[in-house]
Amino acid sequence: MHISEGVLSPAVLAGGAALTVVGTAIGLKKLDYEAIPRVAILSAAFFVASLIHVPVGPVGLHLVLNGLMGLLLGWLAFPAILIALFLQALLFQFGGLTVLGVNTFTMAAPAVICFYAYRGLLRRGGSFASVAAFACGASAIVLSAVLVAVALLTTGQAFLEVAELVALAHVPVIIIEGIITLFVFVFLKKVRPEMLEGIYA
Amino acid sequence: MPEQFSSWKRNLLALLMQGALLSLVLGALTTPALAHRVLVFAYAEGDTIHTESKFIPDTPVRQGKVMVLDAKSGQELLTGQTDDKGKFSFKIPAAALAEKMDLKIVVEAAMGHRGEWLLKAASYLSGAPTAAAPAHSPAAVPAPAVAPTPVAASGVKAANVDQQALEAALNKTLERHLAPIKEMLTDLTIHRTSLTDVIGGLGWIMGLFGLWAYFASKRS
Repeated sequence: MHISEGVLSPAVLAGGAALTVVGTAIGLKKLDYEAIPRVAILSAAFFVASLIHVPVGPVGLHLVLNGLMGLLLGWLAFPAILIALFLQALLFQFGGLTVLGVNTFTMAAPAVICFYAYRGLLRRGGSFASVAAFACGASAIVLSAVLVAVALLTTGQAFLEVAELVALAHVPVIIIEGIITLFVFVFLKKVRPEMLEGIYA
Repeated sequence: MPEQFSSWKRNLLALLMQGALLSLVLGALTTPALAHRVLVFAYAEGDTIHTESKFIPDTPVRQGKVMVLDAKSGQELLTGQTDDKGKFSFKIPAAALAEKMDLKIVVEAAMGHRGEWLLKAASYLSGAPTAAAPAHSPAAVPAPAVAPTPVAASGVKAANVDQQALEAALNKTLERHLAPIKEMLTDLTIHRTSLTDVIGGLGWIMGLFGLWAYFASKRS
């Protein structure tokens, strides 16, 4: 999911950065004191998740966890992902500082979209919520794949081809993330319902 | 409203299943290159430059697009494609030799992955002149083992020729022996993610949010 440095044109980089600034600003506006630890934990989880390679197929894929972040953070996913990506770029050279904006947007925007898309069902509880939690984790990855393809559009790569390639390569991740999001949601609901109360009261 | 959602989700589930099956088939045929950072390294051997590209930690970049550029002007000298082991070799372009260009080797893998390597002119020029300047073919080079005896006996001219031949032969063997070491050295210079990096990064996250929490608590 991380687009490397030097691939995209300045216009796309600037566009991505602008969108990320807007998203982060909205996120920071919504950030209240109680939410800070939650954002920090998920930011840390995202930071580490990229290093956990799922041994499926010949190439290790890694988790993204943006669906889970959307579910638990909403707009706060923007600052959380931005900080994690910034440190990944700095410490591991994943992505890069110039692509930080684009990369943040391709992963955080699906989180926010999924947050709004599934909020209603998650509130209902029961099996509705379980299915919604799975779908939230899974569809965030699909949306990210589409956004990566959009970003790469300007480099002359065929949109459908790239979107398909990214989505197909991520099919195991899509399923695993759906399951992880589902389990985390169910677990939190049982053990720490207060963590979900603010969002899904 | 819920019906609408659930049917949509059933579709999604069906799509996912289809996707999973398709990917199994595709996974057997092609190997979607997907990991993280693309690593490129290159070294010269005689008049050829070998490049190797892989995704960290250790997956070759298959059918990646390789571009060789003049590092200064950015002018494209040649392009190619990596093989199934992520390797691509090319003859040093004449223009690069003539102008002692530093070569920038860029590898583009699918999905916006890209890596580059700078090959300094000095590191490939050392091997090239012996192959380019004196016009004798490798077949004319005598076996090095025979060389020392006639050197003592014959005239200056013969000794010169032999010395040249010997030097060329030596260069070749040395290059062959040094190639794995060069590869190892480039490999060692590459920064791999270590546990320390991860823990350090987590520390940064804690610290940043701690700072944030501090200021937030002061404000309220």
